[in-house]
Order: sequence, then C-alpha cells, then structure tokens
Amino acid sequence: MFHLLCKTCTYRATIKFKHVVQNETLLKRNPMHGAWRRSFNAEHACLESRALPLVHHVNYICDLPENHRFPMGKFPKVLESLFRDQVITDKQVWAPKIASKGLLGCVHTEEYLSNFIGGKISEKDQRRTGFPWSSGLVQRCRYETGGTVLAGEIALQRGLACSTAGGTHHAFPGYGAGFCLLNDLAVTATHLMGVSGSKRKILIVDLDVHQGDGTAFIFKDEPNVFTFSVHCGKNFPLRKQQSDLDVSLEDGTEDKEYLSKVQEHLPWLLETFQPDLVLYDSGVDPHWEDELGRLRLTDEGLYQRDLYVLQTVIKKGIPVATVIGGGYSRDIDQLARRHSIIHRAASKVWREYGL
Amino acid sequence: MDISSDEADDWFMESLNTYKDLHVFQLEHPTKVIEWTGDKSICVAGYTGAKSEILELLLPLKLYAGDNQGLCAERDFKVQRGGFSEEPVECLIHIPGTRCVVTSGSSSSTLQIWDIGGDDSDVIKRTGVINLKSTSGKGIKIAPGLTDDPTVLHGSCISDVQLTEIATGRALYTVGNESLDSVSGLKFVNAHVFLICASNGTLLMGDTRDPLTALYPLEESKSGLHWSFGLRSDGFQSESSIVARLSSSAHILLSDLRDLLSPICQTQLNVQHSPPNNDFLKVSWAPVLNSCLSVSGFDGTVHVYNTTDWSTEAQIPQPIFSHRGHEMSHDAKYSGSPAVVTTHSWHQSRPNTLLSAATDGSLHVWDWVDIIPDR
Repeated sequence: MFHLLCKTCTYRATIKFKHVVQNETLLKRNPMHGAWRRSFNAEHACLESRALPLVHHVNYICDLPENHRFPMGKFPKVLESLFRDQVITDKQVWAPKIASKGLLGCVHTEEYLSNFIGGKISEKDQRRTGFPWSSGLVQRCRYETGGTVLAGEIALQRGLACSTAGGTHHAFPGYGAGFCLLNDLAVTATHLMGVSGSKRKILIVDLDVHQGDGTAFIFKDEPNVFTFSVHCGKNFPLRKQQSDLDVSLEDGTEDKEYLSKVQEHLPWLLETFQPDLVLYDSGVDPHWEDELGRLRLTDEGLYQRDLYVLQTVIKKGIPVATVIGGGYSRDIDQLARRHSIIHRAASKVWREYGL
Repeated sequence: MDISSDEADDWFMESLNTYKDLHVFQLEHPTKVIEWTGDKSICVAGYTGAKSEILELLLPLKLYAGDNQGLCAERDFKVQRGGFSEEPVECLIHIPGTRCVVTSGSSSSTLQIWDIGGDDSDVIKRTGVINLKSTSGKGIKIAPGLTDDPTVLHGSCISDVQLTEIATGRALYTVGNESLDSVSGLKFVNAHVFLICASNGTLLMGDTRDPLTALYPLEESKSGLHWSFGLRSDGFQSESSIVARLSSSAHILLSDLRDLLSPICQTQLNVQHSPPNNDFLKVSWAPVLNSCLSVSGFDGTVHVYNTTDWSTEAQIPQPIFSHRGHEMSHDAKYSGSPAVVTTHSWHQSRPNTLLSAATDGSLHVWDWVDIIPDR
C-alpha cells in the first residue's frame, strides 16, 4: 500500500514537473497572459473539473448526401453513449476552437488550404477524398483538427485527454484522401513540438486498421516525431508510405495475436524514443464487424488494446491524447458504442492512476 | 493494363459510393463456372489443376440483411460442400429441382454426374458417368433439360448434340444435322425447344419432338472470330425472347427468336479486342432489369449495358456500369499478369446484383448503385 502510494506520488511529481516546465514554455510563447493562465485553444474549457477531459464540438458533423457511406452521425452518438451509460457528465466536456489557417499552415500547403477553404478542389480530388466539397465539410474538418490539438494541450497539463473525433491520417500536405482532408495528428504534433529551442518529442501510435500514410509522409524527416502504425497489409491504401515503424498484419488477425504485436513494440519504443507526449489513434476498424477492415478483433479485444496502450504510456509518466480513428458500419449506434470503448478505458485508467 | 496502386486506391474510395454492396472472396484455384444451386448458393469448380475441386458456396449473409446490415457481420462466402474431380472442369450445370450437378471436363469424353448433398453432408459425391461416343477433343458444352425428368443436352459439335436422360444414360434425342461446326453454347428455350450457338456464330433451333432442325448462319461470316450467346430465360414466355450473340471482336448481334435470320440490331462495343481465351467470352441478360445485358471475358471488367436505345445504326454504346474490381484487387497487382474475368452470373431476383470470377481466383458478388433515375 505504501509502496503504491509512493509510486503514485512519484508519478504525480513527474507529471507536475514536466507540466511546470511546459507551462513556462507556454508562457514564454504567450507573454500577454497572466502567470498561471492556461492558453488552451478552447471555446469552452472545463478548468474546474477534475474528471477525465473529453473534447467534443457540435460542429464535428456536417450534412452529407443521402446514403453517403461515411458514418458522420457517429460523432455526437459517441458522446451520447457515454452520457447514457454515465461514464461521463457534461461538466468534463471541453469544446475546441476552430483550427486557424495559421495552425493548419504548419503542415498543409498554402495552395491546398486556399483551394480547400475556398471550394476550389477538383472533381477528381474530391472523389479521392470520398467527400463532395461543401463549406460545412471544411468547417467540420477544421473543428475536428482543433479538437485533436486541444486534446493534446490538455493532456500535457492533465496527463490524459480524449477527443470524440480525429485520426484523419490519410491527409497529405497538398491533398486529402480516404475520408481525410486535414491531418489532425500531424497538425497537433507539429504545434505541440514547438518551433525552436528544445522541441518536444511526440510519439504517434496509430492503431487504425489502415496505415497512417499521410502522417508517415509528413514526418519522415522529422526526428522529433516518431510514427508507429499497426495496420492490415491488404487494406487501403495499397500504396503504402514508410512510417518510422510499420507493423503489417495478415487478414483475419484476432485479439490475442494483435495485442501481442502491440506489446512487442510499444514498451521499447517508449523506452528508446522517450516521448514527451503520445498521440493515440484508437481506430475501431480492426473489429471483425467493420465493413472495410479485414481483421477480426472483438469488442473485448479493442478494450484490452486500449487499456494496454493507455496504462503502458501513463505508467511511464508520459501524457497521452486520444482520437477515435476509423470505423465503418451502417449500424451507427453500434459503431458509436464501439468508438466509445477508448473513452471507457480512459475513464478506468484516469481513476486507477489518480490523475 | 497495368494498374497502379494509386489508381486502385482511387477506385476503392469511389467504390464506397458506386456500390451498395461488394464482397470479395479468394478461391484457392480460379473457376470458370458460377452456377446457381439455390436462392443463396452457387457452385464453382477449378479448371487449372489436374485434380479440381468442386465447391458449393453460400453467398455472404450480409448481402441479404437489407437495412439490418449491422446485425449480420458475415460478409464472406461460406464453403458448404466440396468434392474432387479427376479432371479440370470446363462446364458445370445444375439440374433444376434437384441436388444434382453435371460437369464436363477438358480431358475426357464423359459427363460426370454429382450429388451435391443435403444438410447432413458436406461432401459432393460423384454418382455417375455418361460416356460419350465423340472424341472430337474439343470441349463438351452442356445445358439442363427443362422437363420433369432430369436430362442434359450436350455436344461438342452440332452433329453430336444429344439429349440424354441422366438416370439411365439413355439418349432421348439426337440432332439430325451433319454440321461439324463446334458448339460454343446451348440452351433450352422451353421444355422442348432448344437453341445451339456455334463458334462461328451460326444458330440452330430445334424441338425435341421433331427430328428437323433449322439452321441460321450469320449473314456475313467473318473468319477467325469466336461467338458466344446469351438467351434471356423468360421461362415459358419464349415468344418474345431475344438472343444476343457476342464475338471475340466485341461485336454484338441481337435477334428475335421468331426471326433469327434478320438481327434486330448490331453494334460494336468499346472494349479491348482479342480476348486471351475465347472460352471466357460471356454475354448474359439481366433476369430482372429490362433490356439489360452484361459482357465479360475481354479483360478484368464486367460491363452492363441497357439495350433499349440500341438500333441498327452505327454507334458505340456506353455501359451503364462497369465492374473493375478484379483489376483492382491487391492480388491482381502482385501477380504476373492482369486478371481476366472468366465468367459472371446475374442474381435471379435482386435487380442489380451479379457474381463474377477471374483468372486470379477472385470471386466477387456486387450490387451497384443505380445512378440512372428511372428504368
């Protein structure tokens, strides 16, 4: 008991120490703010809440043509599922600011951003993304990116934070693909890495069933960001990029083997790379019922995976921000429930580690 | 045609909106036959190995889940039963109303009779053989008889076409025509009337109650072309049946059964000519969609056309849908040669659903989204 208390104290101390250092950095970058004012990119901040921070925005969704395959309705339903099961209350839900053009410009090209925001994306490029362009679409993508950025900022201060969206890892600097138009993980990592002096090191753990090709490409020459992707080899994209570490799985891989692959790599990555922050894409498309994924994980398998990742990272005193990643099903309620697995695992870990 | 990964990725994204359903299966050995054995089951058989496997497959249940797709995750074809054939299987037909299947192979002059079994068995057993006199060495084409008594119509050239009773092996009818033109396909129009298509495009119509047959050669016969045909199975409404003939140069002729000498129309399709294997040429009519037919065998694509506006004037019709899935698969990319569609078949009741198979062993069932408003 005493040993455990000591451990927890040491852990808290570690986090606090890191946060103090980082707060100073934040302050340095925002001299106009007061001594202890946190500069979050938030429209609504739950500064008083001591519960697991969740990041959500009503503008995470937009209208799509009837029968469009992208399950847009899942974002609000993830939150609803968590409220209904009393996993969270609204007092812990933060709302992000829309990602500014300046923020996005650290990853995306000026030309692409101008075309994307201005509605000048060609028919062919629109088809490649899977979405018909609309101003609503632009807005939702920017809010989604803002959400991931905010989750990262909160995680640095509180140790753990979860968005109810995010994981748009197929977006490249100059174009979108595979339902991804802006790369939220890349924008977040670049923003939180810092611009000069001692940069933060960011580890991106991408367990979506599709390779995080956009993110891999963006950071291929960046030593401060490590991209780790576990995916199904035969799934989209056929044209793969090279992450810092790619683990390609066979069709039909099940819970046990999947988890063992993650367990094989995550601890040594944390040990050797020593990140200051982990961004975790907990995509649920490795599930056997997913319409596009070719693996065979179960609900329990996803839960054990998420618990394992969160516990392993937090045990080492490293903050982690999560995004929901991909999931495709025509049963939106079931899909939303699946996406909420990460938030349930995070709640458990939040309590377990006294964050 | 060499498909790049980028093109395949683009096609994948588009397919999410252009198909309502698309289920992909990989057979260990490719098939050139897809034959319905029930509402939700098909038979396929290998043609590449010395010993070939015959499989009865259940279609992915997810296809039938309709709006309740979320309740049914089963999106794989399920192997129900299997058996082994001593020779590569060229043709396979199901005898309606029975659990009997007949095959012909490339190396012997026999027809094999199989029992595909019931719920209590997962084995497809050979129950009999029909020995044939002809040793022409060319493939024997087969078609099920439409009478109550199980029979099979078969032949490799017009002169040896015969109707045989399956239970006894007794020859019930023989075509009284000496033509040595090789048969590319044959089919019963109703219980007694049948149609044979020769590889040179000639049609022969006969009646099993009448020894005389009528021959309808092509008006302008171009040598070197191979023809195959598709007859819309209207059951007993044979009066208005239309026959489609497809040549290896992608020419299509549509003729009314009542007047086979003068085609209703002919047209040239815009597909790559000279198919790698004439056996793969397939043209078939949609059972539900009016006036729609499908074509495959030239490459890795299945094209669907609406023939309503076709006329005798020169035109190149555009397909209303093209299934490129066999060209785009991961396996197709990494094998030596591009996949070619070996056969395809329409679903009997679902309007936009087809099955297709290719030389790389892929087997697809697909239901495309109709973008043309009314038909």
